[in-house]
Amino acid sequence: MQGNGFKIGSIVAFLAITLWYLLPTIQYSLEQNYMDDLSPSETVQYKEENKQKLENLRSKILSLGLDLQGGMHVTLEVGFPRLVKELAGDNADQLLDDVIDTAHEKSLQNNTDFITEMVAEFESRDPDARLSRYYRNDAMDITRRSSNDEIGTFLKKQRQSALDRAIEIIRTRVDRYGVTEPSIVKQGSNRIVVELPGVEDKERVRNLLKGTARLEFRLAADAQEFRAFVNQLYDYYASYEQPSDSSDSTTANQLNPLQEVLVPAQSPYLVGYATKEDTAKVMALIKTEEVQRMMPRSTTVMWSANPMPGQGGEDLYQLIGVRTQIELTGDVIEAASVQFDPTTNIPEVSMSMNSDGARKWGRITGANIGKPVAIVLDGFVFSYPNVQTKIANGRSSITGLDGVEEADDLVNILLSGALPAPLNILEERTVGATLGAESIQAGLNSILVGLGIVAIFMIVYYKVGGAIADLALLLNIIFILGILAAFKATLTLPGIAGIVLTIGMAVDANVLIFDRIREEQRTGKTLKAAIEAGYGNAMSAIVDSNVTTFFVAIILFSFGVGPIKGFAVTLMAGIVASLFSAIVITRILVDYLTHNKQKSVSFG
Amino acid sequence: MRWFETPNFNFTEARKFSYILSGTLFIISLIAIFTQGLEYGIDFKGGKEFVLAFEQPVNVVELRDNLSEPLGSTPELKLYGTDHEVLIRTENEEAMASVQQIILSTVQKVYPNNPVRVDKTDVVGPRFADDLKMGALQSVIYAIVIIFIFILIRFRNWTFSAGAVAALIHDVVIVLGIFTILGDHVPFSLQIDQTIIAAFLTIVGYSLNDTVVVFDRIRENSNVHKGMDFVPMVNKSLNDTLSRTVITSLTTLFVVIVLFIFGGEVLKGFSFALLLGIVFGTYSSLFIASALVEELEVRTKKS
Repeated sequence: MQGNGFKIGSIVAFLAITLWYLLPTIQYSLEQNYMDDLSPSETVQYKEENKQKLENLRSKILSLGLDLQGGMHVTLEVGFPRLVKELAGDNADQLLDDVIDTAHEKSLQNNTDFITEMVAEFESRDPDARLSRYYRNDAMDITRRSSNDEIGTFLKKQRQSALDRAIEIIRTRVDRYGVTEPSIVKQGSNRIVVELPGVEDKERVRNLLKGTARLEFRLAADAQEFRAFVNQLYDYYASYEQPSDSSDSTTANQLNPLQEVLVPAQSPYLVGYATKEDTAKVMALIKTEEVQRMMPRSTTVMWSANPMPGQGGEDLYQLIGVRTQIELTGDVIEAASVQFDPTTNIPEVSMSMNSDGARKWGRITGANIGKPVAIVLDGFVFSYPNVQTKIANGRSSITGLDGVEEADDLVNILLSGALPAPLNILEERTVGATLGAESIQAGLNSILVGLGIVAIFMIVYYKVGGAIADLALLLNIIFILGILAAFKATLTLPGIAGIVLTIGMAVDANVLIFDRIREEQRTGKTLKAAIEAGYGNAMSAIVDSNVTTFFVAIILFSFGVGPIKGFAVTLMAGIVASLFSAIVITRILVDYLTHNKQKSVSFG
Repeated sequence: MRWFETPNFNFTEARKFSYILSGTLFIISLIAIFTQGLEYGIDFKGGKEFVLAFEQPVNVVELRDNLSEPLGSTPELKLYGTDHEVLIRTENEEAMASVQQIILSTVQKVYPNNPVRVDKTDVVGPRFADDLKMGALQSVIYAIVIIFIFILIRFRNWTFSAGAVAALIHDVVIVLGIFTILGDHVPFSLQIDQTIIAAFLTIVGYSLNDTVVVFDRIRENSNVHKGMDFVPMVNKSLNDTLSRTVITSLTTLFVVIVLFIFGGEVLKGFSFALLLGIVFGTYSSLFIASALVEELEVRTKKS
């Protein structure tokens, strides 16, 4: 047994560390079992009393992936082209817009960096032109003389900070919404991966994540001018003949195409009403060049955010005429809260502005008494109340909300700040809690049955040697879980599959060793010599084969996402643990059995 | 118990058959892949997918017929594990909330007395799907390149690298071919998605494991039996390690079968890929990888 002291020490140490990391997980599940037996009110009370302890435990447990506990996984992309356009501010022109759009297309096609493409595209149009004319910024040391490369670096820096800011804002929003253990991480140069365990209302979360919270106050269109435009518009489409490529003569007698999708309105500020399905068709009819020419100067149309009931009870959205000029933006909002209208008890969001905002707001309201001001959020009009009096205290409120949840979320979004650039959902996956629970059960069953079959087979085939390998296998699974907990890895369903697979493959090292021992015995060696030679000679095969599998696991880890990463992690943990248990633990046991009892150990 | 105690199979002789078998399977697989095309899952194709759990059994054809009109195109529908769970995939491009609303209101109209729950939803944008596809392709290519280099470093002989990598490609192509051919003929999904790619890389790792153990023995034997010819030495090495190869394959096969039966619907395709991978991986380690090394060795020595 001499020389084994170190090995025994390392086993004890490894086991102790593993159990140390697994302890919170065990404690936490005990706590949960305890709470399951309590009545709901007792549970609430218990949770309240032990809040600190439970939170502390939860932060250390081996966490389950969304596929096992249910929840929502969203990959968002930050819309940088828009950010870069906006950074240019008033300097932006058609050329820059073109360059940005082309560069965006190219970067998607060739999988290259958007800003590098943008600089290249700009230079390819005019090698002597300077991007600095769009991005002069004294604070950032960007002068007219700055080279295009410097501008590129500047834009990349802006992009980086916009991404970081977006992550911060999303984190704030998610925290306010109240999700336990959310995970929000950056992926690459323009993506954010958000994982939200246990969320139920998917649509609410989507809006919460995407909402840029661009709050704008705009004046409504000039009533007379706009009324004239609307009349002209309906007349235009009444006499409009559809450009038909068929010889179908009935098309000439068709209904007014606009009235098919839009119900005319009485209010001078409205073009009409449409159902949600028809809004796109209406916009197609209004965005035509001819109609745009009829539109009064500095005027545009926007949809209402929430519907109102039509005559048949259908949900109708209003198309409202507003000015293109933005009088005031959400930057001036200092505080926001949900209030209830004292008479109707309908929820609304009440906001107060900083002093600068309050001054401007006072001027705007003072100059437009009796006229409507549209409150626009992310391109949709929430309300367009008539200004009653000059508002000097910087207060304002958003009405026309769908319900108290929308009011809550709106306050959340307003207070978390506006996103620097719009976010698009690239990928979204949700798993219900029931399916998650079923998956856990399926995974556990697989582990137990797999373990049982392999264990029995090893004992039948290798006798005592097999029993030793089985013991190592058992420790091996504990080690894997410990390693996962220590590295704060998440256990996913593919991860559990990885553990099951490891059970089958972990015995490989022992199979290699035991087969080698049998082989050495056949050459006439004594048991002890055969064991010595068996372990020694099998080593290079064990190391080589495990290192190659480890490489594959690393590749899986670096390319896979979500659950696949979990699989790769368990595979890696499995390789490390099985090498240790097969080489060190079984060796100790084999040595112990052959040394102390002077008895032969059968390898079958 | 001892199997293959002192086996003395003539693997070199058996090669003629294995070449014919592998060649046939390989070509059939390639033809299947190129004519039918790989059937991609949502990860690589994009779209929207829903898993609905009903309380009572439902009729897939009836649901599909009823959903086609409101969704604007015929959705893909199949049972998901049991006869009261269905997977619906649609290309409908409207917002997620409205698509889910359309589906739920339609199925409730078709089955008014059969409560339904949404178990799982996936939305993958077309661009994201392309990215995932590219990532998967890259990971497989990188895996092969790294394996080639690692074996080259460890065994200091490019023929070993070439033999191992050829065997891996053989395994992956045949499993892909079987996936393509079986496609719609099995009661579970064999669409190629991220999990299947993970399974393929595991197959690569596993098959390599077997191959490396044999190579290791060839290296050892070439040091011990210096005068022996290369061909009989490879044969001896294969026989020496045969018992281990079979036992490890068996234990791994056991757990993968367990996973296939007990692992639930999500892991069906994954464990099926592993199952095939272990069978072909073991076969290729015994009959293809070393055989190719031999061919290459003999040829390069001659020239």
